[in-house]
Amino acid sequence: MAYLDLKNVSKSFAGTLAVKDFNLEIEKGTLVAFLGPSGCGKTTTLRMIAGFEQLDSGTILLDNSDISSVPPNRRDIGMVFQSYALFPNLTVRENIAFGLEMKKTPKKDAEKRVNQVLDMVRLQETAKRFPHQLSGGQQQRIALARALAVQPRVLLLDEPLSALDAEVRVVLRGEIRRIQSELAITTVYVTHDQEEALSISDKVVVMNKGIIEQVGAPEEIYRAPQTRFVATFIGTANQFHGKVDGRESVDCGIVRLLTEPLKDFINGQSVVVLVRPENIQVQLEPPGEGRWNSIPGVVETITFHGAVTRLGVNAGGQRVVADITVSNTKPVALNQKIWLQFTPDMCQVMVADE
Amino acid sequence: MDPLSTPKNETKKKLRPASWQVALVAIFLFYMLLPIISTYVFSVATRWDRTILPEGYTLEFYAKAIQASYFTITLRNSFILSISTVLVSLLIIVPTVYWVHTRLGRAKPLLDILMILPFGIPTVVLALALIQVYHFPPLARSPVLLIGAVVVYSMPFMYRPVSNALQALDVQTLTEAGQSLGANIFQVLYRIVIPNIVTGLLSGSLLVFSTVFAEYTLTSLIVGARFKTFPLLLVEFTRINGNIAAAFSVISFTIAWLVSMLILWVGSKGQKATTEGIRAH
Repeated sequence: MAYLDLKNVSKSFAGTLAVKDFNLEIEKGTLVAFLGPSGCGKTTTLRMIAGFEQLDSGTILLDNSDISSVPPNRRDIGMVFQSYALFPNLTVRENIAFGLEMKKTPKKDAEKRVNQVLDMVRLQETAKRFPHQLSGGQQQRIALARALAVQPRVLLLDEPLSALDAEVRVVLRGEIRRIQSELAITTVYVTHDQEEALSISDKVVVMNKGIIEQVGAPEEIYRAPQTRFVATFIGTANQFHGKVDGRESVDCGIVRLLTEPLKDFINGQSVVVLVRPENIQVQLEPPGEGRWNSIPGVVETITFHGAVTRLGVNAGGQRVVADITVSNTKPVALNQKIWLQFTPDMCQVMVADE
Repeated sequence: MDPLSTPKNETKKKLRPASWQVALVAIFLFYMLLPIISTYVFSVATRWDRTILPEGYTLEFYAKAIQASYFTITLRNSFILSISTVLVSLLIIVPTVYWVHTRLGRAKPLLDILMILPFGIPTVVLALALIQVYHFPPLARSPVLLIGAVVVYSMPFMYRPVSNALQALDVQTLTEAGQSLGANIFQVLYRIVIPNIVTGLLSGSLLVFSTVFAEYTLTSLIVGARFKTFPLLLVEFTRINGNIAAAFSVISFTIAWLVSMLILWVGSKGQKATTEGIRAH
């Protein structure tokens, strides 16, 4: 049974549809990330859960009761904002105690609770300071502590790390995940950063133009994207356009690609074959026999990315990118002729958009 | 030593104002202060029409000013008018501007334009129009109507600082943060918004107070002798004795100045943190 249940939720602003017929069940204690480009409706959906936006249609159930028309201050849902939104006139301690005070928690209990959450975010020493005396990362941790102090039923995070440096971002996302699992609090995390979404969530909801493209575990989203949008938005994917040619191959013009058995397609159907750059091997010699796809090409660009080096290859007029690591590939030079190889199970076949 | 300190010092040297800049500021100060200083001197001068400096000095005009009938009443009326106007302004403007900033952003340009109107409409026109429209009792020619009029007339002075303070605060997100923590809108206003815009509220109140304390046209036309204020008494005395009028000016100016100090002092108590916080925001 889902703990947080969004049923047929829709919302438009001034005639523009922001969220369209959104259906999602979130299990208790899990962390779900809403991932998508800006304007995809992820923040709007989050704000509807928080109660800051009214639904045009649909319902939101929390623990089996309809909260769609409950005002935000009575939903018992904590929120962390991109801009931290700490109250500048209150100290760290007062900020955290604010929610408890609103709940009329006895002073002693409140004080104990404030200390607990300060320990949780490891910032006990900042209790007497004002928000502007803290770094961005510290402020966001205090904001998290403040949201958690009242023990909300659901925690919402709206791009919580987008305003921080890359280094702090990585540390803090680990912290968020640690605290979330410790408390087993149901959490919705909005981000446009795929790495962030994939690394910390139990489930990722990929959104585009107000609709859900795919829901799944991070690995599932990456390894088995169900739509072309997901395949290209998450990570990088080479796209080969062609037509189904037989049971296990696609004719792409420059090459006939071998694939896994194509059960759901008919012969001659227009399809796109997607291949991730890290699944392509680069060979300097023409390949031998075997069930491999092999495309000859010329190296046009070499970009060093640290762990991998990305090659831009011209394969019969089509640009293909392939990632190589120093350890598994011999040095490659610009304008060198090479062979790109990948096995049929690395090919993901999708219906081409009209 | 910090290696950065040397270039810093150099910049400081370069930043010393040029002589023409000093001159410009001096001219400005002279222009602003001369009338005030002259009024002060005139109020204690025995005779000042044949010489560059007064021929003698006396406090007799102050004694006469304080002894004037109506002195206390007009002073009291001026205080009533100014303080009520400040309070009414705060009560109308703060919730409205807050609401526009959080919920009705589209109305902000309209409000901005509305707040210029009091500058555009001549006070005489405003007064005559109000007298015609509200010609029935109990409003007709009443102090209440006068307060209504000066609230409109002084509205921009309250609106600007409050609006700017809210603008600097990202008040929408703070409101939402408060709500998500269980606060209702009044708690959000009282605990979060108002403490963070105190500086704006204070400067607005100051401007409104001093504007209304010196207001003449509206008062004279709407209530006249029924509710005589200090500026009315002052103008009356310009026709009788210039020196006493100058003494009244000095008293009026000093009161406005003292009230400003008082408001600033009250505001600065416990406000340091907030101001710093907002600056850092």
